[in-house]
Amino acid sequence: MKLLTHNLLSSHVRGVGPRGFPLRLQATEVRINPVEFNPDFVARMIPKVEWAALLEAADTVPKGPIEGYEHDEKFLRQMHHVLLEVDVLEGTLQCPESGRLFPISRGIPNMLLSDEETET
Amino acid sequence: MAALQTGSGSRPAAGARFFCTAGRGLEPFLMREVRTRLAATQVEYISGKVFFTTCSDLNMLKKLKSAERLFLLIKKQFPLNVSSVSKGKIFNEMQRLVNDDPESWLSAISIWKNLLELDAKKDKLSQRDANPLKRKVGENDITNPKKLKTEQMQELQESRECQLEKQMEEETVEHGGFLTSGEKPPEASQNDVVKAAGTPDRKDLTFRVSCRCSGTLAKTFTAQEVGRVIGIALMKQYGWKADLRNPNLEIFIHLNDIYSVVGIPVFRVPLASRAYIKTAGLRSTIAWAMASLAEIKAGAFVLDPMCGLGTILLEAAKEWPDVYYVGADVSDSQLLGACDNLKAAGLQDRIELLKVSVIELPLPSESVDIIISDIPFGKKFKLGKDIKNILQEMERVLHVGGTIVLLLSEDHHKRLQDCEQSGIPLNSKGSHTDEPGIEKCLNPGEKTDLSDTVSSSSEAISQGGLDKMPPFGSLVPMECYQVSLGRTDAFIYKYRKSHSLGL
Repeated sequence: MKLLTHNLLSSHVRGVGPRGFPLRLQATEVRINPVEFNPDFVARMIPKVEWAALLEAADTVPKGPIEGYEHDEKFLRQMHHVLLEVDVLEGTLQCPESGRLFPISRGIPNMLLSDEETET
Repeated sequence: MAALQTGSGSRPAAGARFFCTAGRGLEPFLMREVRTRLAATQVEYISGKVFFTTCSDLNMLKKLKSAERLFLLIKKQFPLNVSSVSKGKIFNEMQRLVNDDPESWLSAISIWKNLLELDAKKDKLSQRDANPLKRKVGENDITNPKKLKTEQMQELQESRECQLEKQMEEETVEHGGFLTSGEKPPEASQNDVVKAAGTPDRKDLTFRVSCRCSGTLAKTFTAQEVGRVIGIALMKQYGWKADLRNPNLEIFIHLNDIYSVVGIPVFRVPLASRAYIKTAGLRSTIAWAMASLAEIKAGAFVLDPMCGLGTILLEAAKEWPDVYYVGADVSDSQLLGACDNLKAAGLQDRIELLKVSVIELPLPSESVDIIISDIPFGKKFKLGKDIKNILQEMERVLHVGGTIVLLLSEDHHKRLQDCEQSGIPLNSKGSHTDEPGIEKCLNPGEKTDLSDTVSSSSEAISQGGLDKMPPFGSLVPMECYQVSLGRTDAFIYKYRKSHSLGL
């Protein structure tokens, strides 16, 4: 699971609503995957990033988008690394409101809820 | 057509005429694709085949995604007159297909050779370039095993695809080869292209005839008889030798009530079978067609919440690379298969996977740009999910202005039509006929003689389908296509989210 994906996920436990974001990430196994740097693509992802969530999940991250980031290669490369090259293989995601834990296994988060937990 | 000049390095000066077979319902996609990808002109659709003219070389032709197979056209003419009682007379007509106007045969073969030579030159050039540059030792060793694997995959795919292709023919079809019991030897001794065996003199060409007869003709003739007649006529006319195992040249003939078409298959393996897909789920041509409707743009977030083996995401990621793709499924085995597929295609870095249920997506509202999904059909899909619940959740996570493209079974299609009667609030903008989407369903505009009647019926299908598509909450129907999956039919639906749900 990449950190860009973590940035999009929200808990869907019943009653939690928007307080289910962001999920608390505990990684037990992480791999760094070299991924081809595509500055255009990274620049397009920046506006979608929820920075508070990203800062919680990752260590060395710029505090926010800097002005003129679209052309700042250093910034883009840093973001590229954090968002796309860090791969969480094993760990957990925790709903901040309910405490419910969702496991990450082989890089795939399992966010299936049981019937009692679902919103409907 | 004149031989290519060395050093021109690019394409034939004038366009060559080709045709493709396509799955029923995919013809509008294919017509659009040849125009966009190959700058094709004189595009016509007649009874299961799309004819077009283009200057593109093999590399571009190979990229066609919504076609089954590609052929170089030798001849297309009015159907054989089967009303005459004498079989002999009809055989004579068949011979005339070969003997009349030998120029059309020879020029097509010349074009075919040029295409192959050009391709072979490009291969040699790229290999030659590799040598003077300092490369890692053993690079060639690394690439060869991959090539072999690709060929093996293609062989397997080819025999499987031939089965599917046969199922997709509407009319009763007989398939036979010249002097064989009718099987198609699934060889792929060379990657993709029919071997030209260097540049043989015309007399040295070996060939094989592949024949299909349908309609009235098929009641009187077997494909084998026809294949034999044509084969003998070819041997007499051009002095070629027949070779059923590994011919230089394959001749493909399709005779039916609407036309007589003769062509040369350009690639050994059908275009529809993809080298980069290890285990196909949904048919790749349909997966690509769905993705082509979704208006995928660079920087988009594309979700397939019932991704299965990931076919749709694979096709989309190959065509539109600068996009963030996420696939989700509830089944471990499907996710494992998807993972495998991603790795085999080299796309594991560009497509993320989640184990998640489509009716409870762990995503904030209005966070996704595009959703593309093949909704599972039938009883084996046992999760008790209702198509309405599925659409509701998809609607929730979609951005306003975002698109949803779905593949639905007849059952789902019916259930959604019932929505209107059950009182789900209609979008106040209501009238579908105002939607620009309708323009897209209609014939792209090329007018030709024969194709008019046929294309107007495909219009009717698309438009008729669209009329029956009610809006779903804030989802406005844009386009609807009925496509064949072989034994059953399915519907490709496109929606756009017109306004926020105000949650």
